[in-house]
Amino acid sequence: MKKLMVLTLCMVFACGIAFAAEDAVKSFGVYADKRSSDNHYIPSGWMGDVGDIKSNDDSADNPHSGSTCIQFVYSGKRLQNQGWAGVYWQNPANNWGSKKGGFDLTGMSKLTFWARGAKGGEIIQKAIVGGIKGTYPDSSVSESSQIELTTDWKQYTVNLVGKDLSYINGGFGWITNADLNPNGATFYLDDIKYEMDPSLKPESKKQEAMPFPIYENRSSRNNHYICSGWMGDYGDLKLDIGSTEDPYLGETCIKITYSGKGTQGARWAGMYWQNPPNNWGSVDGGFDLSKATKLTFWAKGAKAGERIEEFKVGGLMGEYSDSDTASIGPVILNKEWTQYTIDLKGKDMSYIIGGFACTTNVDVNPEGAVFYLDEIKFE
Amino acid sequence: MGASKANKPAVLIKKLKNNHYQLIVNNKPYVIKGVCYNPVPIGQGHDYDWWADPYKPWLVDGKLMQEMGVNTIRVYKDGTDGESVKQAIGDLYKLYGIRTVMGHWLGFWHYPCPLYADVDFQDTIRQEVLNMVKAYKDEPGILMWVLGNENNYSFNGAVNSWSCPRIDEEQDPIKRVAMRAEIYYSFVNSLAKEIHAIDPNHPVVLGNGEAKYLEYAALVCPDIDAIGCIIYRGRNFANLFNGIRFTFDKPVIFTEFGADSYDAFKDKEDQNMQAFFLESQWREIYQNLANNKEGAGNCLGGLSFEWTDEWWKNKEYDPDSFKVHDTGSNWSNPGFYMDNQAKDGKNMNEEWFGIVALSDTEIESGLNKRIPRKAYYIIRDFWKNPLLKSKKKK
Repeated sequence: MKKLMVLTLCMVFACGIAFAAEDAVKSFGVYADKRSSDNHYIPSGWMGDVGDIKSNDDSADNPHSGSTCIQFVYSGKRLQNQGWAGVYWQNPANNWGSKKGGFDLTGMSKLTFWARGAKGGEIIQKAIVGGIKGTYPDSSVSESSQIELTTDWKQYTVNLVGKDLSYINGGFGWITNADLNPNGATFYLDDIKYEMDPSLKPESKKQEAMPFPIYENRSSRNNHYICSGWMGDYGDLKLDIGSTEDPYLGETCIKITYSGKGTQGARWAGMYWQNPPNNWGSVDGGFDLSKATKLTFWAKGAKAGERIEEFKVGGLMGEYSDSDTASIGPVILNKEWTQYTIDLKGKDMSYIIGGFACTTNVDVNPEGAVFYLDEIKFE
Repeated sequence: MGASKANKPAVLIKKLKNNHYQLIVNNKPYVIKGVCYNPVPIGQGHDYDWWADPYKPWLVDGKLMQEMGVNTIRVYKDGTDGESVKQAIGDLYKLYGIRTVMGHWLGFWHYPCPLYADVDFQDTIRQEVLNMVKAYKDEPGILMWVLGNENNYSFNGAVNSWSCPRIDEEQDPIKRVAMRAEIYYSFVNSLAKEIHAIDPNHPVVLGNGEAKYLEYAALVCPDIDAIGCIIYRGRNFANLFNGIRFTFDKPVIFTEFGADSYDAFKDKEDQNMQAFFLESQWREIYQNLANNKEGAGNCLGGLSFEWTDEWWKNKEYDPDSFKVHDTGSNWSNPGFYMDNQAKDGKNMNEEWFGIVALSDTEIESGLNKRIPRKAYYIIRDFWKNPLLKSKKKK
C-alpha cells in the first residue's frame, strides 16, 4: 500500500511542481488525460461479458477537459452469456486482490467523474469505488445509483464520507447490463478523481417513494432489484426475465422453470432479487423502503397446481442484514394470473437488500414446475 | 400475571408505565443472563440422562457459571428421576444462586408425529406437563416454564408434519398453516391456563422458532406470559423486538441464540468469531431491556446456546462419532458471515456451540474438564459493564 500523503509530497518535491501540498491532497486522480501523470489507476479489470466491451482511452472526441477522454462501446451482445459487463480501474493493472497495491485515500470524501452518452439515454447500472476482494481486499466498497447519460457532459458523484479508504485497489469502476441497454451503449468518461470536500455529509439512504418496482419489464429502468441470488439446487432452475409468454402487463414477464432434478442435492431451490446483484449481505446496498406497507406481485403456473413454498421480502443476513422480513406461503398457483400480497405493516423496511424471493422444492413439485411472475412492486 | 400485593407471585412480569416489560423475582428486577444447559459427556448421545449423572456436573458447571455471571439455565426437559432433578435445581440455586427455566417438548419428537389435533394426544401431553409443574413448582430455584421449542415449524409441514381430517380437506396450504397454528397455539393456551391455576408463581413461556406464525398465536394464545424465541440471525436480531410489539405484544425471552466457535471456511477453531457474535447479540438484548429509551423495552434477557459443547450432535445416530469432536456442518446460515464461504455455505458447526469446551484427555471430578472459551470471558466482562453503544457498522 502506498500512503497518499507520502506520494503527493514526493511528487511535489521530485517534480518541482508549483502547487502547494495543501492543494495537492485535495484531489487524487484516477484518470485525467491519456498521458497525465495524475492517472493512478489502470482500466484493466474487465468483467462479465468482456467481449461486449471495446475501449479507447485516447479518444479525442469532445473530451470534457484536456485532449483526451475514454470511450467505451458496450454491445450488449452477451458474448460470455453473463448479461452484464464492467471495467475496474486497478493498481497495479489486473490486480484482483492477489497482490499488494492500491492507495491509502484516507481523507478523501467523494469520487467524481464526468460522463456523457453518444446518443443520450445510455444507462450505467452503477459506478463503483473499492470492493475488490482477494488476499488484499479493498477496505470498503461504495456505489452510485443507476445513471442515465445525456449527450452533454455531466458530473456524477459517489459519496465516500465515513468510508474506510485506507486501502483502495479498485479505484473506480462501472457496471451495466444488456437489459438496461438492449441496443448497447457508447459512452465517454473523463476527469475521474477523488476529492476532499469537508462540507459533504455522510450519505443516508432516502426513503423511496411508493410504488417502488422490483420488476416491471425486462428492460425497465424501474427494476430496482436483480434476480441474481440462486439458491439450493440452482442447476434445477432456468430463468427468463424477458418471457413474452402472456405477460400480465407490458411486453415481458419472468418465467422460472424448476426441473426438480436435485442437481446440487439440496432438493429445493429458490431465487433472490438483490441489490446490488449477488449481494448476500456482504456489501452495503439496498433501499430504504420505510414507506412500503405491502409488496404485491402477480403469479401463475403453467399447468396450475405448482406449489411455491414461500414468497418473501427481506430476510438476507450477513454483515449488512436486511432490517426485517415478511413472507407468505405455501402458495398453490392458478393457471390464471393471480395477484398476491405480502403484508408489511409493522415491519422495519428501512434497509432492504433482498427485495423479493421465492423458494420451492421437489417434494411438493416432484415433476418440477414452470411458473411466471410479473409486476412485482412495493406499495 | 395478576396477583394482589399480599399474594405477589415470586416471579412475575410487570408492565411498566412506559409499556416496557420487566421480569421481577422476589420483588427485584431480574435480567435473565442465561445459558442452555445439556451437559452430555463426551461419548454419550442425546438420550443421556445427565440429571442422574453420579458426578453431578451441575456442581462444577454451576461454580464456573457463577464466576461468569450466569444467573439462569434453561433445560429442555426434566429427567426420569424427579428427586435427581430436584437435587440439581436445588444445588444450582442454593450453592450458586442460579435459577432454572424448565422446558417441555410438548411431544414434538413423539413417533410417528405430534398429533396436536388429537384429543388423546393432547391429554397425554397435558398430563406430562402438569405433572412436571406439580413436581417442581415449589422448588425455589424454578424461574419459569417453557412450553415447546420450535414446534411451530411443523405448521407448514417442514418438520414433523401433522394433520387431521379437517386440515386434509382444506386445499389451500396457507389456510392449512393457519389451521395448524390455531390448533397448536390454542392447546398451548389451555396449558398455560391450567399451569397458572396450579402455579401462580411462575410465568409460562411460549417456545417458538423465530417469530414465525406469532400473528396466529396472538389470536388464540393470550394466556401465555412471554414469548421464548429461538433466533439465529447472526450479529443482530434485526427488527425482532419491534416486530413482536406489533404482532403479539408480549415480553420476549431468547430461549436460544448464540454462535459456534468453529470456522467452517478456514477449517479451524475460531474463538474470536464466537465471542464477536455473542457480544453483539447480548448488546442488542440489553439495548431492548426495560427502561432503555432507545430500545423496544420488551426483552427480559436471553439463554445462549449453549454452556458446553455436545459431541454427539453432528451424527446423532452414530455412537462411534460421539467420541469425536466433529467439524462437520449440516446447515448454512449466512448471518454468521465470517465463515459462510465454506463449501455449500454450511457454516453452522453443531458440536462447537459451547461457551465452555470439553477436554477429551483430562478428567476432573469425574467429568470432562471444562475449558472456558474466549466468549466466556467476553460475556462475563460485558455483563459486568454492559456497554450498549454498538461498535458495528450498519
